[in-house]
Amino acid sequence: MNNMADISRPTRTPQFEARLAKRYRAERNFKLMGQGAIVFSVAVLIFLLGNMLMNGIGGFQRAELAVPFNFAESGLTGDEVSLTAPSAVQTLEMQGMAEVVHFFAEEALGTEGADQLSDQAWRDVAAALTSDPALLSQTEPVLFNLPASSDLASGLAGEGSPEMQALASKLASEGKLAENWDWGFLSRSDATSPQAVGIWGALKGSILTMIITLVLAFPIGILAALYLEEYAPKNRWTDLIEVSINNLAAVPSIIFGLLGLAVFLAVFPNLRSAPLIGGMTLALMTMPVIVISGRNAIKAVPPSIRDGALAVGASPVQVVFHHVLPLALPGMLTGTIIGMARALGETAPLLLIGMRAFVATPPTDFMSPATVLPVQIFLWSDEIDRGFVERTSAAIVILLLFLLLMNSVAIYLRNKFEKTW
Amino acid sequence: MTRIHDTIQAASTALMKARDVSVFYGEKKAIDEVSIDISPDYVTAFIGPSGCGKSTFLRCFNRMNDTIPIAKVTGAIELEGENVLGDTMDVVQLRARVGMVFQKPNPFPKSIYENIAYGPKIHGLAEKKADLDAIVEKSLTRAGLWEEVKDRLDDSGTALSGGQQQRLCIARAIAVDPEVILMDEPASALDPIATAKIEELIDELSGRYAIVIVTHSMQQAARVSQRTAFFHLGKMVEYGPTSDIFTNPIEERTKDYITGRYG
Repeated sequence: MNNMADISRPTRTPQFEARLAKRYRAERNFKLMGQGAIVFSVAVLIFLLGNMLMNGIGGFQRAELAVPFNFAESGLTGDEVSLTAPSAVQTLEMQGMAEVVHFFAEEALGTEGADQLSDQAWRDVAAALTSDPALLSQTEPVLFNLPASSDLASGLAGEGSPEMQALASKLASEGKLAENWDWGFLSRSDATSPQAVGIWGALKGSILTMIITLVLAFPIGILAALYLEEYAPKNRWTDLIEVSINNLAAVPSIIFGLLGLAVFLAVFPNLRSAPLIGGMTLALMTMPVIVISGRNAIKAVPPSIRDGALAVGASPVQVVFHHVLPLALPGMLTGTIIGMARALGETAPLLLIGMRAFVATPPTDFMSPATVLPVQIFLWSDEIDRGFVERTSAAIVILLLFLLLMNSVAIYLRNKFEKTW
Repeated sequence: MTRIHDTIQAASTALMKARDVSVFYGEKKAIDEVSIDISPDYVTAFIGPSGCGKSTFLRCFNRMNDTIPIAKVTGAIELEGENVLGDTMDVVQLRARVGMVFQKPNPFPKSIYENIAYGPKIHGLAEKKADLDAIVEKSLTRAGLWEEVKDRLDDSGTALSGGQQQRLCIARAIAVDPEVILMDEPASALDPIATAKIEELIDELSGRYAIVIVTHSMQQAARVSQRTAFFHLGKMVEYGPTSDIFTNPIEERTKDYITGRYG
């Protein structure tokens, strides 16, 4: 009788309860493993970002020498018109401004110190003068913080030759040499000396390149996705196209660089290093990602919405643009964000189409030579001068911030579209 | 062959006439030579077990089967003398004349107002905003929803309850002022109270529109329709006045189905 009861109630046996306990244990373990994975990724991320920020802070500073400059005694001449003319800096150079700056530096810092003033330091003074010509009549000396040579900068950091270290500590103790916050880093371009480099040239190059990529890849990708999902007949040809697009998304990026080199630069040989060609190359790489995510987003739109729209007499185009596209847009934007973020960080294809050139002035338009942030980082990390190490970290921080900004805008747009529906 | 009850009168008022309509899904014949008349004078119900092809047949009347690439329809369906299945038929215009309500409520994820206004807008039925407002109010009133939603026309249509959503879909179909309304199991996803409201609504709308309703529920067919067609395995087995079909079926299969022997 007892036996019968046990058999008829298999869920009340000790074995069953043991199995139940085991099942709960398995669930707990699985949850713990998942939490462990999250904690690990967050820790790695924090370490990475923290490390970059710590190094990067140094990159946003530079060693500068304090030089009082007396314009009234400088012997420089000029008036409001000549000092605001585009050629003003050349005019000042002709008047021997570099020597004048050197003279004042010798007075303040001694011969040894003045020799360690950066060759281009006078340009900072010239820039101040051209932006405010009234300075020329100033009788009081104006204090300028001018960039030191990279030798002296490494001396200040406790590296380099013993003589330089001694000179640096002497000047620093007199308050004439200091690490100052370098806002100019955000507005200058590439240079040969780490003391004179800036990120603006590469940042602007990246922005221009991304604009081209977005303008080409987004509409083409979305239209291709819409056509393939909504209109294309399902046959061998569309299967072939689908396979090709999927393959294209998996092609290593350097291959796209070769394509850009062989095709785009063959057609426009004068546009080597131009953001236009870079953007076109990256658009090729980004488009398949947008097509694939776009198609998935369109597939996720419930067929009942299409039926509902068709049943009130909407034409197929109206169904697509009034119903399918607005519902699929958030998903499409997500794919676009992923594609664009990948394109922003891409180095290899751009090296091949010549965007690794030394470009000392920021690009003025889509056709002028430029470099982009990741390539700039790659180039600086290759430099021998120790000063470039910190500058590289600073450039990485800028790249990450740019990425963050781009993603935030995209996520904002995505949420906005999701809300209106 | 379809058995047609003798008590049925020749439908001189037929708005749509289906003649020998067959539907093929690839090789499979889903509907086998069905002929029937649809009129605004009575509500027509299609009943039958799952998979008998009644929904497939219904979707022929506004050519919704066009969205299924492998579906092929033969025969003829006339709407006031014009062949609906012909190549010259403008499908967009057809669907404006023959509205449809689906099994699952499918309001657009837009405001209640936009849901109703969408059809009239794309067909250019309203010149001014005031005209559109009038159409929205009239359609919602006819669908018995106006009192419930008049203060929140800007709320999303998807925020309504299931029964309200279905009445919204009926209002959406009414808004373009169709001649025929096809309903594909409109109450199968709703609770009894919401179902009762939909049935009341069908009653009120009959006469103004030619209504065809596909339903699983024989009680529903008995309550709302005046003509019933019984489908089985792609064939229309029996067609006649609803009361005759339910009280005095000719065919053995019909009798078995309505007495619950299978289905």
